[in-house]
Amino acid sequence: MSYKVTEEGNIATVHLDGEIDMDVTEKAKEVIMPLIEAQKEVHLNLKEVQYMDSSGISVLIESHQKAMELGTKVILKEISKSVLKVIMMAKLEQILNLD
Amino acid sequence: MEQAHISNLCESKDFQVDSANLKHVRTFCREVFEKLEINQELKDELVLAIAEAAQNIVKHAYNNEKTEDKMEIKISVEDGHLEIGFSDKGRPVEEEKIRHRKIDDIKPGGLGTFFIQQIMDAVVFKEGEKPWINHLVLSKNLKN
Repeated sequence: MSYKVTEEGNIATVHLDGEIDMDVTEKAKEVIMPLIEAQKEVHLNLKEVQYMDSSGISVLIESHQKAMELGTKVILKEISKSVLKVIMMAKLEQILNLD
Repeated sequence: MEQAHISNLCESKDFQVDSANLKHVRTFCREVFEKLEINQELKDELVLAIAEAAQNIVKHAYNNEKTEDKMEIKISVEDGHLEIGFSDKGRPVEEEKIRHRKIDDIKPGGLGTFFIQQIMDAVVFKEGEKPWINHLVLSKNLKN
């Protein structure tokens, strides 16, 4: 997994790339969580994520919940077909912010 | 509608139990499923189910601790019936403790087993034959 972060005002966009599994979830959290803790609105661009398993979904849930706790939000952008399928399999499409 | 013919096959591979090897597990599965006349969506689901089961071995049978141990993954298809066997030498699985979380209880974790159960027709834990400790068998009828 690789990533790129861009910031504009209070919005931080994290472009994730590659496959997100248990092996890279800590790295993903290290990128995303400090942005949420800084109370940024975080946009996760998932266009280039070709695979995500339950560990990746856990990162999305954790990020979403942390953001709600801190009064901000995480929005999932340009979700790839394969990631959307896993989100729907987990029945999270009504819970997470999908754009 | 006439069903496409699904070839018989049997392939297995050992992987060192390590989260860094989960990507190699997926590559192995993708290569095997490329040989089957099934649609891409189903192939992707099967890769996810296998990767989740392999992840459970790393996480639960070995507590994500460093080990030299290997797990064996065996994929076989006979007459359109897919069987995927996982063998490992980790902590014995306590089947009664394997339960996915309630799907409407939104919290991180506990989804892997739910995905496996959604994708596969049957999930059976068996005692492993020596030298293995655990043996998990996932199966699915590919003709449905």
